[in-house]
Amino acid sequence: MFETVEDVQKQLEQQGYICERRIATVVYLASRLEKPVLIEGPAGVGKTELAKVVAAATGRTLIRLQCYEGLDEAKALYEWEYSKQLLYTQILKEKIAEVMDGTRSLREAAERVGAQDSVFFSDQFIVPRPLLHAITSDEACALLIDEVDKSDPEFEAFLLEVLSDFQVTVPEIGTFSARQRPLVFLTSNDAREMSDALKRRCLHLWIDYPSEEVELKILDAKVPGIDKKLAQDLVAMMARLRQLDLKKIPSISETLDWARALLALNAGALDEELVRDTMNVILKYEADIRKAQQELSRMMTRSEPKAAAGATAADPAARKKGTLH
Amino acid sequence: MQKKIVEFANLLRKSGLRVSVSEAIDAFRALDELSIDDRGVFRDALRASLVKRGDDVPTYDQLFDLYWSGFHDNLRQAFESAAGALAGEGIDVEELLRRIQQALENGEAGEAGELDLSELARALLTGDLSELERLIRAAAAQAGAARIENMLQIGFFGRRTLEALGAENAARELQGLAARLRAAGMGDAEAEAIGRLAERFFEALRQSVRNFMERELQTRNFDYMEKFRREALFEKSFYSLTEDEIARMREVVARLAQRIKNVMSIRRRRMKRGKLDLHTMLRRNMARGGMPFELVFKERRKDRPKLVILCDVSSSVANVSRFMLQFVYSLQECFTKIRSFVFVAELGEVTQVFHDHDVSKAIEEALEGGGVINVYTRSNFGMAFHTFWRDFLSAVDAKTTVLVLGDARNNYNDPKAWCLRDVHSKAKNVVWLNPESPSAWGFGDSVMDKYLPYTSVAEECRNLRQLSRIVDRLVL
Repeated sequence: MFETVEDVQKQLEQQGYICERRIATVVYLASRLEKPVLIEGPAGVGKTELAKVVAAATGRTLIRLQCYEGLDEAKALYEWEYSKQLLYTQILKEKIAEVMDGTRSLREAAERVGAQDSVFFSDQFIVPRPLLHAITSDEACALLIDEVDKSDPEFEAFLLEVLSDFQVTVPEIGTFSARQRPLVFLTSNDAREMSDALKRRCLHLWIDYPSEEVELKILDAKVPGIDKKLAQDLVAMMARLRQLDLKKIPSISETLDWARALLALNAGALDEELVRDTMNVILKYEADIRKAQQELSRMMTRSEPKAAAGATAADPAARKKGTLH
Repeated sequence: MQKKIVEFANLLRKSGLRVSVSEAIDAFRALDELSIDDRGVFRDALRASLVKRGDDVPTYDQLFDLYWSGFHDNLRQAFESAAGALAGEGIDVEELLRRIQQALENGEAGEAGELDLSELARALLTGDLSELERLIRAAAAQAGAARIENMLQIGFFGRRTLEALGAENAARELQGLAARLRAAGMGDAEAEAIGRLAERFFEALRQSVRNFMERELQTRNFDYMEKFRREALFEKSFYSLTEDEIARMREVVARLAQRIKNVMSIRRRRMKRGKLDLHTMLRRNMARGGMPFELVFKERRKDRPKLVILCDVSSSVANVSRFMLQFVYSLQECFTKIRSFVFVAELGEVTQVFHDHDVSKAIEEALEGGGVINVYTRSNFGMAFHTFWRDFLSAVDAKTTVLVLGDARNNYNDPKAWCLRDVHSKAKNVVWLNPESPSAWGFGDSVMDKYLPYTSVAEECRNLRQLSRIVDRLVL
């Protein structure tokens, strides 16, 4: 798998995922200690992407479990295929009659049937869901439990068993334990705080908005053919937008969308009108767009290098910083 | 190393982070896998295994710096400056140390058995800072330096540590060594230099120990003050808040609101299961010949309350109103609808203000009257209630909780309690929060006693703890 932290960084980069060393360190540790990683951070900074990329870099198959309110064991772990069982009993009626043949008392009949019931509760009638898949898979795999914060607390408690021992008990069949421990990633958008018990079993990784430098690199890797100067302006603009007090702060995915949009428009440089017209690519709320447009002219003048020196001292965005987090 | 990590984990715990034993074990295992030479990696590895909440990261970073960096650097600095001072006096420390070393090896200072230097003296003479650090740490532990609690104890624990270190003894040994070497035929100047060296080094040692104590105190006390202040804020009366405290309070209020929201979402979900939903159940179990394998229940949703807030914004209760509004609007999702009114004598609606601006700005504006009332008058509850009764009674229905904030100091005006009676009979609840304690209700110009019969709940609310308890009840 991974040899060193640098190796992680390099391999992820080959997959087109540029990350800070901090992230690489945690991925490396997770692969070494075989511990799940709980990834938290704002939406769109590449939490899910990280799991996908690590799976690709290690050549593992990715099994994904999307969490939502009301997700239960039947959908996450396994389910008995009732209709198939029913169908089989219908088809096998004669065979069952054969088995029952010659029984005199009810008790005797029940015992005969009882001796056969493992036929109906076997692997054949089980529908494996993502978690069981990940545990019974012959090859090592990567398991992504996406948006775990959206699930109910009961489901979270149920996850604990799976995450700490990598085994699952099906009462009718027995316990399955993982032949090969999967690499587990849980992502959370902080809709609610996860329980301490869950956190204790995981390594924790907080992914924040990237620094301008890293974001520039990401842009370079993901949107080939973008003009250097344009990319720089774009990233600087995003950094400023993030300091505004917005409902939904734009993240990396929005930066990429924007870059692609500008590329499609054949834009060479970022000017005020262009930004105004394409604002709806990065901001998703009407109120946010209005607010950003108000600030826009001021921001644009500041992006001119000449005006930068004097203006930074009285930077209104910097004062607003406190409301950001 | 293990010991240091356990100690660090303890430190984090003391500062309010939750670090379990299994997490500390993870930290050991993580460090086994990594080279700890790289400080950045070391820091990230510890962080990934010990710190699990985004909020705790700044605390961790600060503590990490305090704990892991530095004492060694500090020690080096102290001794380098000592060496520098000696160099200023024309003494080449390195040369001198080498000379002493040589003298010791050659047995110039007498038989080895006679000259039994203590560990400390040896460490000083060989300039072995790592060994020195180890000795200081051990001595500090022996002196119980971990119990240090305030500035005044730095001297005390410093002295005890020096004692445990055997500093005086070592100083004597070095002076003795100088005397011996002189007797063995060393030059006077050189012998004197050794004496000077010993003095300087001990000064450096004393300084380092003091520095160690200061660090110790800083790490132990980190966040202690912070926590203390936060606790105090909860109890502190709204009347006596300073501007700075109001700013800090806002954060605390927001956090509290978040907590209540979390609890709410869990409780609401538990309420959800209602009666059997026959229709959907039959449909869903069609595949099994209509056998009800899978039960389906109707969802029962608990109604979220509607809220009407009447806020006294006269200067005497402005702070209470401020936090109440902040609280209520942070909990917006927990209510179907909130309408807010402000009053002093006149009464006006400020719901729109909250709609247009973000919470903190809206509150400031509401406290200024929101452009609908004049705040520079004397409180008149009777008039305000009457206006509400006349113009806005339709805002109240059987699902509405009416929340009144005010001290009921009516300046001897007509209380018009019958207005509140009508509101009370229409609303689900009337909750009155009064920043004065119940013993003062009805005395002087307070007309609280007149209104009391028409409230479902009337509570004293003068600090954050009381406020949070009331809000808790309000939303559930």
